[in-house]
Amino acid sequence: MAASKPPQPLSPAPAGTDPRVLRRAHFLMRLSRAWDSRFEAMARVGRIGRWYSAVGNECTTVGTSLALGANDAISTVHRDLGAVLTHYLDPTRLAPGLFEDGDQTEWDALRPPPQALLDQLASQVFGRRGGFTRGVDRSFHYGLIKPEWGIRHVGMISHLGSMIPVAAGLALANLQDGNDRAVLGFIGEGATSQGDFHEALNMAGVMKLPLILVVENNRYAFSTPLSEQYACEKLSDRAPGYGIAGETVDGLDFDAVHAAMNRAVQRARTGEGATLLECMLPRMRGHAEGDGSYELIPPAEREEYLKQDPLVRFEAMLVDRALADVERVKEVTEIARGIIEDAVERAMATEEPLIDEATRPVFAPGEVATAFARQSTEVTGG
Amino acid sequence: MAETTYIDAIRRALGEEMDRDEAVFLMGQDIAAFGGAFRACKGLFEKHGRLRVINTPLMESGTVGAALGAALVGKRPVLEMQFADFVSCGFNQIVNNVAKTYYRWEAPVPMVIRLPFGGGAGAGPFHSQSPEAWFAHTPGLCVVAPSTPRDALGMLKAAIRDPNPVIYLEHRFLYRREKEDLPEGDLLTPLGRAHVAREGKHVTILTWSWTLHESLAAAEELAKEGVSVEVVDLRTLSPLDEDTIFTSVRKTSKVLIVHEATITAGFGAELAARVADQCFEWLDGPVRRVAYADRPSPYNKKLEQSLLPGRERITAALRKLARY
Ligand SMILES: Cc1ncc(C[n+]2csc(CCOP(=O)(O)OP(=O)(O)O)c2C)c(N)n1
Ligand SMILES: [Mg+2]
Repeated sequence: MAASKPPQPLSPAPAGTDPRVLRRAHFLMRLSRAWDSRFEAMARVGRIGRWYSAVGNECTTVGTSLALGANDAISTVHRDLGAVLTHYLDPTRLAPGLFEDGDQTEWDALRPPPQALLDQLASQVFGRRGGFTRGVDRSFHYGLIKPEWGIRHVGMISHLGSMIPVAAGLALANLQDGNDRAVLGFIGEGATSQGDFHEALNMAGVMKLPLILVVENNRYAFSTPLSEQYACEKLSDRAPGYGIAGETVDGLDFDAVHAAMNRAVQRARTGEGATLLECMLPRMRGHAEGDGSYELIPPAEREEYLKQDPLVRFEAMLVDRALADVERVKEVTEIARGIIEDAVERAMATEEPLIDEATRPVFAPGEVATAFARQSTEVTGG
Repeated sequence: MAETTYIDAIRRALGEEMDRDEAVFLMGQDIAAFGGAFRACKGLFEKHGRLRVINTPLMESGTVGAALGAALVGKRPVLEMQFADFVSCGFNQIVNNVAKTYYRWEAPVPMVIRLPFGGGAGAGPFHSQSPEAWFAHTPGLCVVAPSTPRDALGMLKAAIRDPNPVIYLEHRFLYRREKEDLPEGDLLTPLGRAHVAREGKHVTILTWSWTLHESLAAAEELAKEGVSVEVVDLRTLSPLDEDTIFTSVRKTSKVLIVHEATITAGFGAELAARVADQCFEWLDGPVRRVAYADRPSPYNKKLEQSLLPGRERITAALRKLARY
């Protein structure tokens, strides 16, 4: 790991987001990008079956989830690696050289060793024994609820839209417990057409749930463009219809994303209710790597999107504000790449799941689980 | 001892479990001040308030999904579908989200989904269905259907305490017709255990819920003709208590399966398959079924009665089976 090289502010504290948050965000966004680069490369040569890239989403996923605290919850879908990394990891222990004294938060101190969690995540994505599901479900299809770590993460099922009511239920539990915790859910713009989107946001409005639903609007769902997905001007226009707050922001503008999220968290914590936060994103990749969906987008349009890389913009902003120089940017990029490289190498060297995992219990221990195991269909293996 | 109806038993179970455990809460349509379409929750809102007896908007999928979210962080939601038929609007959440969570990432999902179901009221195609097979087919769901006030009480309490999702089928026709003297105290009925409701020697009936009572009436009829019928109340359909079922079948060597749901791919088909597999050497006759014809439930009461598998049809089937 490279030596410590904290950024040297050249001018008085700049306007915008707290530099400590930006420092953390930079590393997490780079970590997310490094992960995608590695998995995209593996998808291209067929080393993994399928990869849904989050390239282009990093500023939104990291910028929103960095506004949360310990035991606020996140509910993620398929392009939310940035949010998962932000929620799980203590970056000050993962890349100590990149951080300064005082960067470690109280929540960081609660979190487990970051390397182990990252390894587990990598094993999960490869469907290996060491993953969160030990091989029974794919990539981000799991949850991790560890109140003692301040981590409350509920991952996805394939059915898009289905997790929005679940996120609402996490928020409902906060309301019942009378605490001030918020819940952050993510969804693509395509899945906003699902009935569950409507049911959950309507419920969130009626019950004033401490819920923030972030729509990652990357203008396409698989191959379907916005014009065939919905007919309103902005998706946040739906918010008043549910009696909740709504905003649309440039999902590449870190200050704007983070500030909008902070406002939403404030509303959640003070009993003002839910927020629908739409973040506009460029479609920088196709639906899944190599599935041909990107080629359907007109080349000129694609070019525009590829020019809007959130990391390029973020790093230019850091340099502009004298929070980093080119060297520092390179260093963060290299360290993040190295960390991911190592985690992927280690995960690929781990073992396949035990075959017995396939027939592990469908019921949590108790009367029902015992009765289930007694059946002839179980004894004979079905 | 106090005479308790089937629906009183449900209300009592809800009340006792809410008193016992702060994490238990109710969600459903019109269940708060109104007490629910059948008043099963009557009085609980006044006692426990709007955060534990939650009136939801008119939705099913959103309700099941939200209950899952709450269950994942330590709550024990008990949902009421206004009618079992409407559970189809929450089907995806139940079979894909709720049922699969424990297998996927080992997070327990304590949840009870109450389904007021069944016919006999001339309520038509959308207020009369028996949907147990939809759920019994899905790994990860426990499916129960109590027949008596005692079991309605004991099984609901057990279901609320179990760390798994339980589909609780409560028959609307039994709500105010079935009555029993029930003692005070913490009365539990184990899940996954069938019950021999009537002992007999010549034929076994496998059944549950409303058709249990019709089967008992038919058994009484056959007794007059010298045929001794054993009636097994399955109570829990999934997971199945095969010990009790196979023991009875091996004793009588003849099986009649009776259920209110439509016949094709009904839960009776599963029972028939398991009996054929595990009791083949003991059988002295065909494994027969009496069930609903493969039709939606018609509205006119006379039409509906013509399809319901009541005591006459059961009696006729028993007579034929007894002749083998
Ligand atoms: C209920 C459901 N229907 C269809 C699909 C298949 N599918 C997977 S991803 C996808 C597109 C999702 O688009 P969007 O919500 O905009 O997210 P994005 O991939 O653009 O980030 C579709 C149609 C699905 N996963 N779930
Ligand atoms: Mg999209």
